[in-house]
Amino acid sequence: MTNAAAERSAVTGIDPAAGNAAGTPADASPKRWKFSDLLADPVVRARWEKVRGYFFLRESTYDMSNRCNLRCDGCYYYEGAKQFTLENCDPEDWRKLMQEEKARGITYVVLAGAEPSLVPEILKVCFAEMPLGCIATNGVRRIDSAVGYRIHISVWGNDRTSAQIRKARNLLKRQIDNYRGDPRAVFVYTFTRENIEEISEAMEVLAAADCRTTFNVFSSPVGYDGSLRHDETSLARTREAMCEMMDRYPRNVLFSPYNAVAHTHARGLHDLYGCSYPRRNESDAIGLGRSFRQFRTDLTWDREVACCVPDTDCDDCRHYAAGSAVVTARLYRHVTDPSTFRAWLDYVDTYLAVWVVGYEKGENLCAELVPPPGSEAIRKV
Amino acid sequence: MPEGKEIRELILRIAGIIIEELKLEEITPEKFDPDMDLVDELGVDSMDLATVALVLQDEYGVFIDEDDYPKLKSIRLIAEYLQSRLSGAKG
Repeated sequence: MTNAAAERSAVTGIDPAAGNAAGTPADASPKRWKFSDLLADPVVRARWEKVRGYFFLRESTYDMSNRCNLRCDGCYYYEGAKQFTLENCDPEDWRKLMQEEKARGITYVVLAGAEPSLVPEILKVCFAEMPLGCIATNGVRRIDSAVGYRIHISVWGNDRTSAQIRKARNLLKRQIDNYRGDPRAVFVYTFTRENIEEISEAMEVLAAADCRTTFNVFSSPVGYDGSLRHDETSLARTREAMCEMMDRYPRNVLFSPYNAVAHTHARGLHDLYGCSYPRRNESDAIGLGRSFRQFRTDLTWDREVACCVPDTDCDDCRHYAAGSAVVTARLYRHVTDPSTFRAWLDYVDTYLAVWVVGYEKGENLCAELVPPPGSEAIRKV
Repeated sequence: MPEGKEIRELILRIAGIIIEELKLEEITPEKFDPDMDLVDELGVDSMDLATVALVLQDEYGVFIDEDDYPKLKSIRLIAEYLQSRLSGAKG
């Protein structure tokens, strides 16, 4: 076990009654930290200034096509009403939409469902109008280098599992062949209940090809109760596996201990942080509740269902995209003590490295598994 | 009713903090319209507002509840909010 792992292991064993992340005994009043105190450390201040330079990012998401060249078990796209909308394939309609989005303050687009690589001309139009964004793809078909968005390539286990779940042979090899050495690419390994141990094999292959990788946690679509759905034991084991990979492949893994905590906690993201997407947030006064829209392939949207991965069961949501917005937005809850604030900075630094082309992640500032504010310490596996 | 000296000073200080934290250029606290809608007219987002609220908390020693952030839509509203908190703390 590495020193960092040993330190984390010690922290995971903390009983809630024994104290908090700041090391305060349970029977003493915790010190009330001022924001300026937390920023007094020059390393912390530098990281804060680095991440706050990106507070201007305001996202919306767009389904690009109702077609896909794979058909995966547990796919979010082929749930709910959105899969039945017609495709608008007119590049000029998309150009107009992007211009309207820019005019209402959107600065970052997430191009997703079902498979964006199948509409290459529309991707080019979007990039021409809106230079910051990300494409979520299965990586089977390479996206033209002229489209300078971040590209997230979904990995769901080893090749045996991909063949079973995604009906695709040699998928990881094909994905790496398409995106090896591509500065846009980040591979996203989704932990399901069934593929946790496969991360070692997949990560070995990805690291050998020098591919950057981040982690997602399978979040059940509404009504899904299949074998991919996590339980408390699989979440705890996922957290361990994430930490092992961070230790083993620090150059390739874009993640932090706090990411691991936030996304593998027994309570989901909405329960822990309060989801700020319109689907679960009635307020349109400020933030995501005001600006976020989730467009379907016919360029319509519905506030009632608008979130980053529609048709996810909110109680089971641990999605990496959701966390990137929801955890980041809860800055004020993390200004409680140095460890918690550093953990939040690591989370935001990770989110920016995963989502923004050219943003380089710094070293994690907090090696501990800090519990989310207001929740109990993480239980030992 | 003319504005009291206390609230005028508060407005100027809040304007200064917003200018500094949001790195606004070509504006001074004196020229900052205290009734400007920070969200609609200035484009302030939730992260900007959280940052400003944290700096104000430090400076005035009052707790600003996250649920109250949406109410803080202009410098004047922030000043009145702070003033009520400060007078509540004194009482």
